Parts: sequence; structure tokens; C-alpha cells
Amino acid sequence: MTSLRGRAVIGGILWAAVTITLGFAGLQSFIDQGAEQRFDELLLARLSQVATAVENVAETPEAIQTAVGDPVFTRPMSGLYWQVEDEFGQVFRSESLGQQSLPRPQMLASEIVTDSYPGPLRDPVRGMSRTLTLADGSIWHVQVATSMRSLQQEQAQLREIMLTAFTFVVVIGVVGALLQVTVALRPIEKLRRDVQQRWTSEGGLDHGKYPEEVAPLVYDIDTLLTRNREIVQQSRKQAADLGHAIKTPAAIMRNELDALARQGQPVGDAIAALDRLDAQLKRAFGRMRAQTGIAALPAVTDMDRSFGRMVRAFTDMAAQRGLTVTASYPPGQRLRMDPTDLEEVLGNLLDNALKWAGGAIRLSAVAGSDDVTITVEDDGPGIPPDQIARAMSSGQRLDNAKPGTGLGLSITADLLQAYGSALTLDRSADMGGLRARFRLPSVPVQG
Amino acid sequence: MRILLVEDEPVLAQQIKSVLLTEGYAVDIASDGIEGEKLGLSQPYDTVVLDMGLPGRDGMLVLKNWRGAGMRAPVLILSARDGWTDRVDGLDAGADDYLTKPFQMPELCARLRAMIRRKSEQANPLFERDDVVFDSRTNQVMVAGHGVSLTAQEMAVLSYLFHNAGRLVSRTELSQHIYQHDGERESNTIAVFINRLRKKLGDGLIDTVRGRGYVIKSPE
Repeated sequence: MTSLRGRAVIGGILWAAVTITLGFAGLQSFIDQGAEQRFDELLLARLSQVATAVENVAETPEAIQTAVGDPVFTRPMSGLYWQVEDEFGQVFRSESLGQQSLPRPQMLASEIVTDSYPGPLRDPVRGMSRTLTLADGSIWHVQVATSMRSLQQEQAQLREIMLTAFTFVVVIGVVGALLQVTVALRPIEKLRRDVQQRWTSEGGLDHGKYPEEVAPLVYDIDTLLTRNREIVQQSRKQAADLGHAIKTPAAIMRNELDALARQGQPVGDAIAALDRLDAQLKRAFGRMRAQTGIAALPAVTDMDRSFGRMVRAFTDMAAQRGLTVTASYPPGQRLRMDPTDLEEVLGNLLDNALKWAGGAIRLSAVAGSDDVTITVEDDGPGIPPDQIARAMSSGQRLDNAKPGTGLGLSITADLLQAYGSALTLDRSADMGGLRARFRLPSVPVQG
Repeated sequence: MRILLVEDEPVLAQQIKSVLLTEGYAVDIASDGIEGEKLGLSQPYDTVVLDMGLPGRDGMLVLKNWRGAGMRAPVLILSARDGWTDRVDGLDAGADDYLTKPFQMPELCARLRAMIRRKSEQANPLFERDDVVFDSRTNQVMVAGHGVSLTAQEMAVLSYLFHNAGRLVSRTELSQHIYQHDGERESNTIAVFINRLRKKLGDGLIDTVRGRGYVIKSPE
């Protein structure tokens, strides 16, 4: 489906084409008619001129030429002709006709007849004829003819002027239509921006600020967004409640089994089953979090705050193990991710680094034009390139010597994927251990 | 060493308590946030295990109130809330460690021992004086390379004195840290435990400051 703008512009242009064509045709016909009328009026004046000459010099018809007087009738093939015939059939012609004659139309005595026919040069001429009865009772047939070439030239010239004018009108019309569409669609653009911003801020959409045609839609979108947010928050809360409800009994069972194991009871299978259950739950809750992550509104994290918190917590934890954490990141960045999700990602990556680092962990961030690349590195053994895919798949522990479920990296990868990002694992160039990197879009600071 | 366990699930609380008792700790249980907060402020605990989702008062608020009132005992949060945001919130509110449910009991014990050592600024879990060696991880005591069997109370007294080495510890303080809240508290029995420890470990380890208390000297 074409865009609203496209539809409005195409519709406007089609409509303009129809009206302009009709207008052009109507105006042209009107102008043509006017030109023809003026032409006929001139022809009638010529006819009167010749008739007057006949009246004046009827006794000596040879003198009609002189009586008409106009030199254009004497120039051969000038395009302006007269022809007079007396009641005895004797014909007198303008010199411009040369040896040719004008065809005499069928007519009644009282009328003036106008007709068109090919002229002496085979060019179209328009003729006008009348019957003249003089005071002496003699009857004369008088006719004049004019080449229509001048009329046609005039009409062509007018058409050209009109075409230029209408082209101008079309250009103004199209530009106007585009401007109008832009102005008319501005609320839709605003809505798009507002909805975009709504993802990254707490505030709702104010449908009162929109034209009445768009306001109901804005209201519906706002309701939808709010409901969506509530559903996401509810499902997260339910997941947390469910987690709490399951984890405590699971802890009780584990303690009972451990106690039995210490007494020498064969409960290894039960403990293994409980391990699987715990891992399965952790994975399921990780998935749930990832699936609701992107929809959790508002999804903006103040990087200074979250990084500060994580660095503080991990500096203490690292110090207890004799490790150091260094952090460098540009201030004032806002990231397009829910704060708890970002902290989950950072926590999992830093926790993993904490498990493996020999002495140092580094958290760093570099801001691009519209995104931020975040890196967690350590100086531990790293992960061999051929095992990186395994490390990111669910529940794959590369080394059972360290505590953990092996789910941290895969949950992190899932969570980042839900935000359209991706976790990259490779070797740290200068620290030699694992380097985990991901990129998040930054949100411009609102004014 | 005396521990406050704030946990509303009674079965889990009893399980943890029984394990901690075998480790030589005295354990008080509070089953809701309000009671937990009150005990934490009124009794001299060596460490605290605090659940977050508590009836009465949320664990986070209990912790903040403790720290606000100047309570300094190390606190380990034991919670089903396993998100890093929750963990960092807890650490930022003044917790010393955070363990998520479900957990392994040995890990809980190890973390408690580490917290207690950090509080007493003892980096090494192995305490040595002359020919006496006390391993706080296993509660094993060796004298001149030979294992010595101690009762739970003797172990508790020895452990507390080692963790507070170099500092004079009164009988009252000792009894406050080796007996639980509901237990009988007889400071005269402290002298009995000290005598038994001297018989088993030799006279040189624990010095008596007459009328004031006992001390194990700092390592050289």
C-alpha cells in the first residue's frame, strides 16, 4: 500500500489533470469562438464595404474596384477577395482573385450566408454572401472571402500562450499540493515521533494536542501502549513471584537431599534431577525476561548510574578475591535498554569475568554517533574460538571446576538479542582473556 | 559466633539453623521483618542471614533501617530475587554478600565464614598460635599435628577468641556470642569452657585478665 503522502499527491495530481484539461478545453473553445466571431464581424464589414461600393457605382461596375478602394483587394492572392454578379450573370471580381472565381452558394434573397471552402491557393477561406437590391430595382449578388490562415495563426498563438499559462498553473498546483500534504500530514509525523519517544520516556501521549481527526487514534495508541506496559510489568512480576514460590521449596529439597547424602543415602539421582530442575527454571526465567525485555517501557538507562552501581558492587566482590576492576566510559550517555536488563547483562558478564580473571577485569564503553559499544574483558584463560558457540548456547558449561549453571552467557546473549543487539565473544587483545562486547543504541538527551 | 537468621519459611529456616549449629554457631531465627529488625538492633550478632521477601517488613527496608541505626554486623542476603539489579540494590543498601536461592548449603557456610573473617580482618581461614592450629573452614583443631576433639561450645568460644585475637573479650561478650537468644545464658559456664580448652590445647593459648576477661594474643 502506498504512503498517505503518495496517495494524496497522486490523487491531487489526477484531479488537477482532469480539471486543468477540462478548463483548458473550455477556455480554448471560448477563445476560438471569440476569434471566429471577430473574424466574421470583420468579414461582414468587408461585405458591407463591397455592397456600399456596388450601390455607389452600379452604373459602371468596372469602377467597383476603385470604389472599394482597399489596396489589399488588388494584390494578387492577398487572401482577401470580392466577387459581384449582376442579375444578367455578369461577374466582376477583385484583382486579388486573378482569373479564379468564388463558388456561389445556394441562398434566399433576404439572408447573409457564411460558408467555408478552398480558396484560390487551395487554402481554407471563409466566405460571406448577400443579395443586394438597389433603388433602381436591379439585383446584385455580392460576396467576399478571406483566407482563414490569419485566424488559424491567431488561434495557434493563443493556444501557445494558454499552454504556457496552464503549465505554470500546473507547476504551482503540484508544489501547492505537496506543501498542503506535508502540512496536513504533520500531525501523523508528530504522532510517529511521539510514539517513538514514548518508548523511551514515562510520559503518555496527549491526544488533546492533535487535530480531531487524529485524536481518537492517538488516544487508542496511548491506551494500547499503556496496556502493553501493564501486561509486561504484570508478567514480569508474575514470573518473579513464581520464581520465589518455586525457589524456596527447591532450596528446602536440596538441603534435605544434601543431608541424606551426608548420611550416606543414595540420593545422587535426585540431586542431579534437582540440578536439572534449577537449571531449567533459570533458563525459563531468563527466556521470559528476554521475551518481555524489549516491550518493557520505558526502556532507557542512564549509563552513568547503572555502570556506577555495577562497578561499585564488582569492585568490592573483586577485592575480596584479590582482583581489580577498572572502568572507563563516556559520561552522560543514555542507552536504549531497560535498566534492570542492562544490569543483568553487565552483571552476568562481570560475574563471568570474576570467575575466570587472573587479576584484572576491565569494563569499558565507547560512544559512536548513535550507539555505544560496551566491552567486558579479563586476563583469564579466555574461551578457545571453536568453543565460543557452545559457550553461548543454553546450559553449556565449559569447565565444571567453577561454580555456576553455565547459563549466564546464554541468558545474556538472549537478552541482548531481544533488544536487536548481539553478544560477541573473542580474545582480549591486551589482557589475553575473554572479551565480551555488545552494542546498544544511544538515546539523545531530551531538551 | 552468633548468627541472626531472618527467614519466613520455617522449614528452610530450621534446615539452615541445624547446619549452622553443627558448624558451631549460635543461631537466632526471626520469621518476619519486624522481629528481625528488632533482634538485629538489640543483640550483638556476629553475622546476619537476611531473606528479602519477608512478611511484615521487606528485607531491603530492614537492612536500610539497620544500617541507618548504625548496626555494623556483616549481612548476607539470601534471596530468591536473583537479578543483578536486586543484588546490587542489596549491596548498595549495606549488605556484605548476596546469595540467591536455590543455594548450596556449603556455599552459604563458606560465605558466612568469609564474612566473619573479613569483619575480624583475618584474611587467613587458618589460625595458628605456637603449636595450635584452628581451621575455621572445617572447625578442626590440631595441637602439635594431632587432631583434638572439641564440643560445640568449646569450639564456639575458641572460634570467637581467635576471630577477635589481640582484643580482650569479657565473659559477658563471650556468652552473648556463643549462646542463642532463647538458650540458657550462664556466664560462669564460660570459665568451665576456658578450663577445658586449656586442658585440651595447653595453658599458653588463652590468657586470663583477672576480673575482665580472656584474650588470645595476636600473631607475631
